[in-house]
Order: sequence, then C-alpha cells, then structure tokens
Amino acid sequence: MADRIGTTVDSVDHTRPETLEDASPSLAATRSPRVTGGTPSDEHAVILELSDVNAYYGDFHAVDSVSLPIREKEVTAFIGPSGCGKSTVIRSINRMNDLIPTARIEGAITYHGVDLYAPGVDPVEVRRRIGMVFQKPNPFPKSIYDNVAFGPKISKYSGDMDELVERSLTRAALWDEVKDKLSDSAYALSGGQQQRLCIARAIATSPDVLLMDEPASALDPIATLRIEELMYELKQEYTIVIVTHNMQQAARVSDRTAFFSVDVKEGQRTGRLVEFADTATIFTNPQHDETEDYITGRFG
Amino acid sequence: MESAFDTRHHYDDELDDIRAALVELGSMVAANIRRAGVVVTEGRLNEVDAVIGADRPINARYHDLEEKVFTILALQQPVASDLRFLVAATRILYEMERSGDLAVNIVKQVRRLDGVPTDLRLDGLVLRLSDASARMFDHAVEAVATMNAAIGIGAEQEDEETDTVTGDLFTAVTERQDAIGLEACVALFYIGRFFERIADHGVNIAQHITFAVTGEFPDGDG
Repeated sequence: MADRIGTTVDSVDHTRPETLEDASPSLAATRSPRVTGGTPSDEHAVILELSDVNAYYGDFHAVDSVSLPIREKEVTAFIGPSGCGKSTVIRSINRMNDLIPTARIEGAITYHGVDLYAPGVDPVEVRRRIGMVFQKPNPFPKSIYDNVAFGPKISKYSGDMDELVERSLTRAALWDEVKDKLSDSAYALSGGQQQRLCIARAIATSPDVLLMDEPASALDPIATLRIEELMYELKQEYTIVIVTHNMQQAARVSDRTAFFSVDVKEGQRTGRLVEFADTATIFTNPQHDETEDYITGRFG
Repeated sequence: MESAFDTRHHYDDELDDIRAALVELGSMVAANIRRAGVVVTEGRLNEVDAVIGADRPINARYHDLEEKVFTILALQQPVASDLRFLVAATRILYEMERSGDLAVNIVKQVRRLDGVPTDLRLDGLVLRLSDASARMFDHAVEAVATMNAAIGIGAEQEDEETDTVTGDLFTAVTERQDAIGLEACVALFYIGRFFERIADHGVNIAQHITFAVTGEFPDGDG
C-alpha cells in the first residue's frame, strides 16, 4: 500500500500549484520541437527539483542531503559506486520507495513545482507521469500488444488503442520488428527487444519523465547501443533520468551527470552527491578529486 | 529500415559534422592563402589588413572544432576508424590553423617590399610558388572532403614543385641582394619559406587522412 511517507518541507510556497493537474494542465503546450544535440542548454526548464533529499530505510541513513535540478528533454545520468544511493534517489522520484515499508524520504522533490510527497498527491498518478524502466526487462506474460495496451486500459484510455500501441512501439524503435507478430508472447522477444517493449509500455501512458534504472546492464553491446540511440530519440519528447554503472554509457547518452559517492561511518554506508555538472565537464574537467578518481578508474 | 546493427546515428552525425567543418575551415584557409599570394605579387598594401582580419574567424573556428573533437573523444569512446579519424582531425586542425597564420605572416612582409622596383621583385617566381602552395593545400582539403587516402600517398611527390620553386626563388634573391637591399631579401626569403611551409602542412593534412582511412601513415619523412 502506497501510503504517504514523511516529508519535512520547512516552508510551503502557496503560489505553487497544489496538484499535478494544476501543475501542467497541458503537457503538450510545454513541449517544444527544438532539438539540442549533445550540449545541454540552460534554456530547458527545470521539470524536477530535488531539494535536500535524505533517504532512510528504518534507522539506516541511505542518502544524505541530495539537491539537484532535472531539466526537461534532457538525459540526466546518475553514476557512482555500489551503495552510493543512486538507485534509491531515482526510485524516490516516482515514489517507488513507498512500496518499501521502512523507506522514508525527507526533503522535497517537486515536479512542475508540485511537491510529489505532499498530501493529496496520488502516487499512482505520479507513476503514470513519471514512468520507470528497470534493469531486467520485465514484460508481462502477455502478448506484445497487451503489454503496451495494459497501462492505457487500466487508465481507461478512450482513444484508438491500435493507434496508441503502434505509436508507442514506433517511438520505442520496436514497431518494424514486431508489427507482424503483435499477438505473440512478449517472452518470445530477445532481451533487447523486451527492454524496448518495456520502454514502449512505459511511454504508452503518456508520461513526460522516464526513469531508467540500469536499463542496459542485462543486454549485449549491440542491444545496449540500440537502447542508447533510442534514448537520444526519446529525449526530443521526454525527460530521461538514468542510473548506470557504466560510466561510458553515461558519457555517451547524457547531457548532465550526477556523481554520487558513499561514506562509511560506523559500518553504515551513506550515499551523497559529490558533483553535478554537464556531462562534458564531468568527463573532461571534473571539479572534485573524487569524481576524477572515479571516472579515471582509480577508485570505486 | 531497422537492422540489428543499425545503431549510433547521433554519433555518426557528429563525426560527419566534424568532417564537414574541417572542409569548411580548410576552404577558409585556402581562400586566405590565395589572397595572400595576390597581395604579395601585386603589392596591394591596402589589402594586408583584410587578410589579417580574415584569420580571426579561422582561429575562432579552430578552437571551437578542437573543443568539439576533444568532447567526442571524452564522451563517445571512439575506437578503430572513428578513433583514427578523430586523432587525425586534431592534427589536421593544427595544420590548418598554422597555415592560416602563415598566410598572415606572408602579407606582413609586403610593406618591406614597398620600395623595391617592380622588375626586381621576382613576382613571377613568387606567383608560381604561391600557386603551387595553394594548389597543394586545396588538394589536401579535397582529401578531407572525400576521405581519399590516395592523395596523401602521392602528396610528397606532388609537393616537389613547391620545393623546386622555393629553391629557385632563394637563388634569385641571393643574386639580387645588392640591387634590392637586405630588408627586401629577408622579406622574400620569409615569403618563400612561408609558402613552402603551407604546402608542407597540405602534405601533412593529406597524409593524416591516409592514416585515418588506412591505419597506415604514408612512407616518407612527412
């Protein structure tokens, strides 16, 4: 059960929109067709803002005070050694951690200015707008078609379902490979195809943010590059946040990179954000020695 | 439309953009080299500043492209032909930028020739040299545009004309030193030397392309 979990926002700005509907009545209106290439632009509006986010599992302080903005229609990558909290942070963005009974988030995560942990915010609606793709492809034991149509059916989509399925599969760069076998089981697809199916499933509910937690780590190099190329296409329309163990992948696909590290104190491992900058800076001239040591393979 | 190996369009586009930008930069430099040749042989003092001014956008483009190549090297982990091309691109950028500077250095000598009688200025030799040098450079830019490995393989032979004319010019200058004076001699030596260096940069550019395409640097002392 996704109960609301604790928040400690000191001051509430009452001019901010109170609900997700107020926040972005027309998402289409905020989408510009501009293509940016690999260099991020400060003109892209901040769509998600993490402010002083602390994550706990019971008494265990998993993530210490993370603040960073995520801009729309960019790829933001989280990198860092195991246990640095990057997965915890990405899961907190669409309230996946609500599903873990001992998990607790302090601080604020705002989406279009709305605090995602405010009372009255429906976590199901949060997850519809902020979709997620996981490390291991996890298609439902259903046909290819039904996998994509599943979410829209649940949210009582009233448009042309065939058209929506085709559009979602096309955007996920899978349509041409599956259009003649839509009723086949999703399990008949290769790993890379299954992952693109999961991406199609995630975008079928019209999210505007896609969270990807190690989306290519179970795939072979060619399937990995296809996912990366797909991310480049998808960011024309969606905001993407990716967690990856593969630094080179972060370098290739992202506009901005957040490097997390981990402190070990009295046996407790607490993750923290070390450096957040545009990806070219992180990989050519990082400002922190810890970042330099990690990306050059001298630590972690 | 899709194949299992149909990947990395964005990266391919970036590499294509670098190649196209190298050709554009090379064309800008080539135009200034030709203009420098005209300024020197026709003694157009009033166009000296224009040639110097035209080198500024060349330098700006050079820095911009160098940063782009550096970023691609850092972010895309190029290997094999992509790696060779990008390493060649950094070298080619340097050769082009230096050639642009040499065109500037050439026109700066024009003032030193101002008092020299027309029949003693060796314009015929300077013209032949500037033409040979500009042609070599053009050919190098063509190698980049078409990724033609053969141009680099034949480049040193092609450049022999420049070396021959430069030698002729130096001999002629030495013979006339009493008539034209030391300052004009020095100017003509510099002009000869700079045009010859431009042609050498052209040879190097074409050879870098040979390396990018074949993985082998052409034989010779490059």
